Amino acid sequence: MNRGEFSFKRYRKYIIPLLLLAAVTEGAAIVCGATFEKLEDGLTKGIVFFRFMSPPDWPAFSEMLQPAFQSIMIAFLGTVFGTLLSIVFAMLASSNLAPGWVRNTARFLIGLERSIPEIVILLLLIAAFGLGPMPGIIALALGCIGMLGKLLADTIEELDPVMMDAMESVGANKMQIIVFGVLPQIMPNLISYSLFRLEINIRLSVILGAVGAGGIGYELDYSFNMLQYHRAFTALLVIIAMVFGTERLSYMLRKNIKMEGALK
Amino acid sequence: MNLDDITLPSKQYKRKVTIFSISAVVVSLACIYLNFNPIGFFTEFHFVRDLLGEMFPPNYQVLAENSSTGYAILQTLSMAFLGTVYGGIIAMILAFLAASNTMPYRVVRVIVQVVVSLVRVLPSLVVVLIFVIAVGPGAFAGMLTLVFATIGTFGKLFTEIIENSEKAPGEAIYSVGASRFQVIRYSIIPQVLPSFIASLLYALDVSIRAAIGLGIFGGGGIGFKLQLAEKVLHYRDVTAYVSIIIVLVILTEKLSDYLRRRILGEGRLR
Repeated sequence: MNRGEFSFKRYRKYIIPLLLLAAVTEGAAIVCGATFEKLEDGLTKGIVFFRFMSPPDWPAFSEMLQPAFQSIMIAFLGTVFGTLLSIVFAMLASSNLAPGWVRNTARFLIGLERSIPEIVILLLLIAAFGLGPMPGIIALALGCIGMLGKLLADTIEELDPVMMDAMESVGANKMQIIVFGVLPQIMPNLISYSLFRLEINIRLSVILGAVGAGGIGYELDYSFNMLQYHRAFTALLVIIAMVFGTERLSYMLRKNIKMEGALK
Repeated sequence: MNLDDITLPSKQYKRKVTIFSISAVVVSLACIYLNFNPIGFFTEFHFVRDLLGEMFPPNYQVLAENSSTGYAILQTLSMAFLGTVYGGIIAMILAFLAASNTMPYRVVRVIVQVVVSLVRVLPSLVVVLIFVIAVGPGAFAGMLTLVFATIGTFGKLFTEIIENSEKAPGEAIYSVGASRFQVIRYSIIPQVLPSFIASLLYALDVSIRAAIGLGIFGGGGIGFKLQLAEKVLHYRDVTAYVSIIIVLVILTEKLSDYLRRRILGEGRLR
């Protein structure tokens, strides 16, 4: 066998999975009705549509600021309450603070929550409470549990057991161990995780807004449905600025926290 | 240490109290601004109870009655799969064009990086609304949106993976006469491929969740069915759909975990 020559044997472990992948892709494309003609057609239409959307409706810009602020506030409150909820769940889900069966139940609930998309929670909450920021905030807060709860529980379980033993041996009760032993140690992680979650929640609050939580997402969806595309373009620009701004801000804050080492 | 240090609260304590009270005031102001009462969730909990009463038992007839539910599930899965595959392939190509150790021209790198970050900040809500207009509502629009979302999330990550790969093997084969493409093929790709595949399996997981959300805005699939049932107040159907979604998400998560372990655990791609 020549070295440089192509041989089936050598590439077998790549070719067979790739063929399988191609077959599944083809099947999925048929189900989705995805064809290249459609894509080409859609792209031309999309470009025409973009031309149609510009220029943005500048006078509407000032009307967008209040909904944008509302969206940010929804995301902010959702993150704050979500973090508080997650701390409770994380404590219940860590083996060094809670007994076995509590831990397993809490882990199961966290896993269950993680598999329900936020938008589904919101739809159910809207069905219960009606439209408005309240179901939005609750949906975002509940949505935090799956991610933050798991991350924090893992952080707590990795804490040095010596510290807790030491506190216990000088007579601290569970509450004191949590307040003076656990919380200060997880604080840096807690803050950087919740800042990261805030980023996600800002994006989500736009989507949830369109379903009925109000805010800038509602403005965007409304303008699209009313065929006021110039106005929609303005909302789009505001949203991009909002998402980009929070991303930068959270990145800077997280870097600062890392540099300081911990929030003493 | 003078007497004040002992009798008055410590500096650290004061700082903690200040931070805590400022955050409490900000949170309360935000609550007042949005007219949101956290306790309201508990005092008005009977609404949730009423809803739960209407939601149970789940009506699994939706699965048996018409085949469209099964098809919707299949559509959601295909949407997520195609979005991940095509998005992943495009993200990989863009990553090689944006990484400083594979792309010699600075201009190209900067342009690609700007494009990727633009795709990143575009919220998927906007993308899906535009695609629904461009290609019509349905799974295809949802799929294209997921392609965008995957590029945005993983384009930058892939670039960083390529840039962080080990330089020594590449330099070694370059010194014995390998061309630039041979360096990429025999030094960089074998190093980054396992991370790429692990990331893409995770991307599939993310896409399934996103696909359900996109369905609600005209992306088709099970999300659309769910929203339809919610609009016409068939809450028992809603419960059935929600439970199907939960099972779908958990199954994809397990599958992606399994494949990741299977493919990467034995170092087969080396």
